[in-house]
Amino acid sequence: MIGLLLAAAPALPLDEAGKYVAGAYIVFLVLIVVYVAIMASKLGHMEKELRELASFAEHRADGEAAAGSDREEVSADV
Amino acid sequence: MYGKGLRPLSIATVVAVAAALSLVFFYAPLDADQGFIQKIFYLHVPLAITALIGFVVGGVFAIFHLRSGNRRWDAYSYVSIHMSVIFGVAVLITGAIWAKASWGHWWVWDEPTLVSFLIVFLMYATYYPFRYAIEDPERQARYASVFAVTAGAFVPLNFMAVRMAQSLVHPRTFGTANGGLPGSMMFTFLVCLAAIALLWVTLVKLELTAKSTSGQLKRLRRALDAPAPSSGGSRIAPEVS
Repeated sequence: MIGLLLAAAPALPLDEAGKYVAGAYIVFLVLIVVYVAIMASKLGHMEKELRELASFAEHRADGEAAAGSDREEVSADV
Repeated sequence: MYGKGLRPLSIATVVAVAAALSLVFFYAPLDADQGFIQKIFYLHVPLAITALIGFVVGGVFAIFHLRSGNRRWDAYSYVSIHMSVIFGVAVLITGAIWAKASWGHWWVWDEPTLVSFLIVFLMYATYYPFRYAIEDPERQARYASVFAVTAGAFVPLNFMAVRMAQSLVHPRTFGTANGGLPGSMMFTFLVCLAAIALLWVTLVKLELTAKSTSGQLKRLRRALDAPAPSSGGSRIAPEVS
């Protein structure tokens, strides 16, 4: 595949000029990859926080349900 | 809300960038003067144009914020400037590589185009500490908008000043009477410009979506009355609801 691409290219001089051109495009690619990695890390933090909140909300709902059933039992006893 | 349409936009960006790279390396002819080094032009110049327009767009959003008081415009302005600063880093690095390859120096201080872009970049680099220094969110947003409008107005003035400087060193690719670029090179350049602009829009939308999600999470945490997490959001970045 790479051989085909290189054959189709008009001229890919891998001398002095090719080094600089490759450098410029690689710098751009690295910047984008670093940015996407930072965004992925932020997404991971958000996912973790959302999981914590979901867990917290579930515990609170369970607690409220338990408290509600206790109240019902107390009022039935009275 | 901000995430709506992000997937097709991302796909369009990937396709456009792939098409642009294909055109650069398989279609556009080698430059008679610079040879293969000129391929950097298709990356460096669209990045610079997109970054500068992004700064102006940030200023326009800041005007909307000052007029309406809606914090959403401040978030747009912040993210536009943020993304343009990232693109600005790429412009400076690719420009330095091109300068080294063409002129034998990483940086040329008597070249107005380079120095003026560096001035614009450094000016916007002060946006973050300026914003960060203000604690009150309302004042922070208002002062940052004033900064964005002032700096955004400086960008086209700076561009015109450089064009009038009539440098003999930096190539004026579009400045000649016949347009400067042959058709195939111009077509490749325009595709590259569209691809880089699409990438900017996609990344801005992605950043806004992340900020919006983070803001919604904070609201949810407040609603659930839970303690704030230690890994909370940035104090600099505005919240988007």
